[in-house]
Amino acid sequence: MGSLINYIIRRVLFMIPVFIGVTLFTFLIGNAAGNPINLIRLAFKGTLPQNVYLQLVAYYHIGENPLIRYLYYLWDLIHFDLGLSITSQRPVASEIGPWVWTTLYLQLSALALALLIGIPIAIYSARHQHSKSDTTITGIAIFGYSTPTFWLGIIFIYIFSFYLRVLPSSGAVSAITPWWGNWTLDRIAHLILPMTVLTYVQLATIIRLLRGNLLEVLKQDYILAAMASGLKERAVIYGHALRNAITPIITIIGLSLGASLAGAPGLETAFSWPGLGYEFTQAALALDIPTVLGITVIISVMVLVANLATDLVYGFLDPRVRVS
Amino acid sequence: MEDLLKVEDLRTYFFTEAGVVKAVDGISLDVRKGESHGLVGESGSGKSVTALSVMRIVPKPGKIVGGKISFDGTDLLTLKEDDMRRVRGSKIAMVFQDPISSLDPLYTVGKQLIEAIRANNETVSKEQARDMAISLLSNVEISEPERRFNQYPHELSGGMKQRIAIARALARTPTLLFADEPTTNLDVTIQAQVLNLMKDLKKNFNMTLVLITHDMGIIAEMTSRVTVVYAGQVSESAETHTLFYHPTHPYTEALLKAVPRLDKRKQLQSVGGNIPNLIDPPTGCRFHPRCPYAIQICKEKVPDYEEVETDHFVACHRWKELSLVGVQ
Repeated sequence: MGSLINYIIRRVLFMIPVFIGVTLFTFLIGNAAGNPINLIRLAFKGTLPQNVYLQLVAYYHIGENPLIRYLYYLWDLIHFDLGLSITSQRPVASEIGPWVWTTLYLQLSALALALLIGIPIAIYSARHQHSKSDTTITGIAIFGYSTPTFWLGIIFIYIFSFYLRVLPSSGAVSAITPWWGNWTLDRIAHLILPMTVLTYVQLATIIRLLRGNLLEVLKQDYILAAMASGLKERAVIYGHALRNAITPIITIIGLSLGASLAGAPGLETAFSWPGLGYEFTQAALALDIPTVLGITVIISVMVLVANLATDLVYGFLDPRVRVS
Repeated sequence: MEDLLKVEDLRTYFFTEAGVVKAVDGISLDVRKGESHGLVGESGSGKSVTALSVMRIVPKPGKIVGGKISFDGTDLLTLKEDDMRRVRGSKIAMVFQDPISSLDPLYTVGKQLIEAIRANNETVSKEQARDMAISLLSNVEISEPERRFNQYPHELSGGMKQRIAIARALARTPTLLFADEPTTNLDVTIQAQVLNLMKDLKKNFNMTLVLITHDMGIIAEMTSRVTVVYAGQVSESAETHTLFYHPTHPYTEALLKAVPRLDKRKQLQSVGGNIPNLIDPPTGCRFHPRCPYAIQICKEKVPDYEEVETDHFVACHRWKELSLVGVQ
């Protein structure tokens, strides 16, 4: 147990240089985009009072070396201060919270659904390799795997929102009280389309990988040996084959989870889904550098944590990589 | 002695995209109660598939398409899957070639043994099964069984893994044990230990053993009778002693010549050529393209499986006229 804690501490320490690298890089690129004060000035159409202007210069440490300004930024960061958003003039830290949550429940519900549907389908497909249904499943999976989410999103919006008029096309919730007066149902109605698109794409990945791994695992002698000991086929499939085939997939899902928590900018933009990906795109277009930086910081932390969590879960699932 | 296992004209084909691979194409085998029977042949000759067919666990796309398998008076091929499952492990068990891949890497040794002990046998409590597993580990001469019980396969050596695979096969004291090249992937010194262990266990557990190997040395050491298979068919079957000293099939002679000898300074002879493609096997006698004695009839007609003497059968057109050389 002590070695596990040591391992985690070591891993967390290793995160620091990665974190600094990512944020420094984004910070410098953000600087290259221009002076934020000029943008504010533009917003005030030249009516910015001199004293406010000087306050802003002091606040953003304009005129200092960019590296010194980065250190100021890090210092604020340690105090959970991500600066003020240029477009909304509200603290970035309090703006980001709801976006993280909106992205999270879209991504996680889609992932859960994809696993729930994908695992039995992959098992069926692997056990009936080269059958008609296997070929069909593989075909649909390859289609999903190679389809961009935003394109599929637009098609879904066209069919279900524009043509059939059954589901809302954008946002996570209605702007006005829906006619049936239930906000939970309203949120679910908004969730259905983007979740379906995301589920389909993730389903495709899961089926493709799991089917391939299962075919490999089913050839192993320990599967035959388990059958030869008189175990039921179900016990062999779920107890031995699935467990061995899914372990490497957990890694892939875990690693991609970090990235998908960053939101799918394409998908979120197609559905105007107010998550991290959509807001990041909006902030970048508006040259709202503090927001862009803030989102990058949050995403880097989430990716790093997801990677560590994946390693730990993998060690739990596979004794061969357990830390000793 | 009566037959414990009688396989007649077994045919197991693999329906692959490239064509139908006739891995086992008319193998017959009789294994007597209490004997050690050798099943010998090159890789890909259908030895392992024969064993998998008897247990009815041939992996897809393989399928048993013909023949009869009777075990202790029961016709195995007509049994329902549920009843066949009760035969596996309790009556017939199997040890696989590669100890590295025949144990599930994600479960402890103990868990895999308990699983085998309790398969179709839930009346055994987990605590009882644990005690049985520990005693199985001592039966296969594993040191510190209590500690090994909680270890994972990757923490053990190859020899130890194979002992554990043997322990799992013995979990429910089967009457018949297939050992599919149990020592091929082990170091030579470990090989001898494992073979001796199998000899002892066979005696102590009162088992019948079918030893699958391509190693004539192991056959000589371990078995009393042998069946030689070539390209999915039986070429010769005899008592081990007879087969070694009076082979009647040219393939047997070639196998014997390919055994390295320490006492004779002679170049090692391999069996020329390769095992034929089993999708489109040679016509006539399947060994004819590699046979130094082949004549026209060998290419045209499939030889009958004839009795040379009691307990000695051969499938060769020319066995009467040839005087083949065995071990000298």
